[in-house]
Amino acid sequence: MRGLRTPLVVAALFLGLGVLLAWLAEGGPRAPRAPEPEFPRRLREPELARLSERRTLAVPGAAEAGGEAPAAVDPFLAALTRDPAEPLLVLEANALRHSRIGELFVECLARGRGERNPIDEVRREAGIDPLKDVDRVAFSHRGVVVSGFFQRARLERVEAEARVARRGADGRVYAPRAPEEGGIALGTWRRDLVVVGETGFVEETLDRLAHPDPEVRPVLPEHLTYGEAYGVVPGSALQGLFRGDQAELGRRLAAVASRIEIHADAMRDVAVVARVTGEDADGLDDLGKAFGAALAVGRLQAAARGDGTLAELLEHARVARGGPGFSLELALPVEVVERWFEGCGEAAVLPGADAPAPPP
Amino acid sequence: MIVLAVALDLLREARSRRWVLALLAAATLLVVALALGLRFEVVDGALAATRLFGGDLGTDVRAVDVALRPLFAATAYVVFYGGLAFGVVATADFAPTLLSPGRIEALLALPVRRWQLLAGTFVGVELLVLGGAAYGGAAVTAVLWLKTGVVNPGPVAAAAVACVAFAPVYAAMLATAVLARSAALSAGAGLALLLGGIVAGARGVLVELFEPGAGRAAFLAVTAVLPRLSALGNLAPAVAEGRPLAAGHAAALAAGTLAFAVALLALGVDRLERKDF
Repeated sequence: MRGLRTPLVVAALFLGLGVLLAWLAEGGPRAPRAPEPEFPRRLREPELARLSERRTLAVPGAAEAGGEAPAAVDPFLAALTRDPAEPLLVLEANALRHSRIGELFVECLARGRGERNPIDEVRREAGIDPLKDVDRVAFSHRGVVVSGFFQRARLERVEAEARVARRGADGRVYAPRAPEEGGIALGTWRRDLVVVGETGFVEETLDRLAHPDPEVRPVLPEHLTYGEAYGVVPGSALQGLFRGDQAELGRRLAAVASRIEIHADAMRDVAVVARVTGEDADGLDDLGKAFGAALAVGRLQAAARGDGTLAELLEHARVARGGPGFSLELALPVEVVERWFEGCGEAAVLPGADAPAPPP
Repeated sequence: MIVLAVALDLLREARSRRWVLALLAAATLLVVALALGLRFEVVDGALAATRLFGGDLGTDVRAVDVALRPLFAATAYVVFYGGLAFGVVATADFAPTLLSPGRIEALLALPVRRWQLLAGTFVGVELLVLGGAAYGGAAVTAVLWLKTGVVNPGPVAAAAVACVAFAPVYAAMLATAVLARSAALSAGAGLALLLGGIVAGARGVLVELFEPGAGRAAFLAVTAVLPRLSALGNLAPAVAEGRPLAAGHAAALAAGTLAFAVALLALGVDRLERKDF
């Protein structure tokens, strides 16, 4: 019998080793490619459906006029300010509640040890469940408009302490008894809207609902109501956000950007688009490049000083050009958001209270 | 030492071959065209505009290293698969020439063992492919570095990975040439193993296409004894994109691929030892 041939033995051994190593490598961890966050850039199907369902306020005479004006409008949008110089931000509170960041936030509030849950406080005091009854909230300089389902709202205490007056067919104003002392007024429209702010603001808001005029161009038209948060601000309103090295950027923004539309998606990743427009096309182009450069430098500086959170935030930042002006896009992957909330509420301790005992 | 001497001799021969020089010249032309045609507008580390031969490739402004990640990843793929294709085409006739009548007898008359001859040829070709892939990867990296200020290790990593992946491919080509002295057959064996390795690297995904049964079992059995070349090829783009890389996974893939190469080379040596010249 002939002996075993050495090269064949080597071949068999190494083939076995190769199969084994390849098998081991197959069982190894994968580095999945994270999907790029999807940015809100236009109305999408669910938002179009939502928009149509919200047109519940009939416009008197629209049908007879036969023009392009809609027969019904969204009362919440109709109530909002018509002053283009006033910053306006709308939160889709109900949608945000069911977004990932909303879930994390509510869990965080519920986990707070030793603190009273502010959501329970509102439920008890106002008869409103902020997690279920509030649909949208609009913030402006002069006040807040809230839409939702306020049939169970407890207004008795407010009625007892305020001067109550009707405003239009469906509105009521709860103004301070001594208006010269200032104070906050409250307005209600049917049981669908609540307005909070100075008395003049509340009255103007209810007047817009009593006499809706679809011909007047709103600051926030329907086609801009996409995302879980959206709004419109003039560039000058954001100048104060830029400080230190970036103050010059803020000054240029105020000078060039007459209007900034903001849209944010938050159902999974948090993706924000700020559309900057103005009259000076060349100035806007330069501003777009300056923003892009500032984001790139900011990311490098954050990485250099070990600020991983900011570096991650700026990882997906970009300036998208095209059409009039430019869009500034920022995104936070959901994994980063979840990391931010890790341990949230667990260490919350009331000021002055004893620290929780360490686990055994 | 003798193995290295044979390898250097092969490199000297490669230098004199027009076909190899033509492939290198073509790669150089591609890089020069890229260098001349690609224009980046970089403002403080942000890529403001990209133009290829005057055409706008995008208007977004974002951090240049982030914006160029897809380009570096694509370059890594091109270097990896281009390096493998370059290797198969450029080296297909080395072994048949070595084994040609007259030449092999002359070589065997020297104090060189048969396994040393085969191992030296293998090492020489590996060095040639490493050099070719590294040349392409480094040249593209240098062009992008000069134009944007960003250095990305992806294309160079792809050259190293291509060299590892080419090892079993050329070992199969060498073993085939020993069996039948034909450049076409040798290249065919290399391409077949390359395609098989691409399929084997994605077997975890492709197996889902098979219904449970004999077909599925046969697919798994055949691909089990093939190097996972496409899985290996995914490592360099991961480096280019800055994705986390599990060192153990990468090391097992590379070592497994080299083990396949040694097994195939040993088969070639066995055939050569038993051959009469």
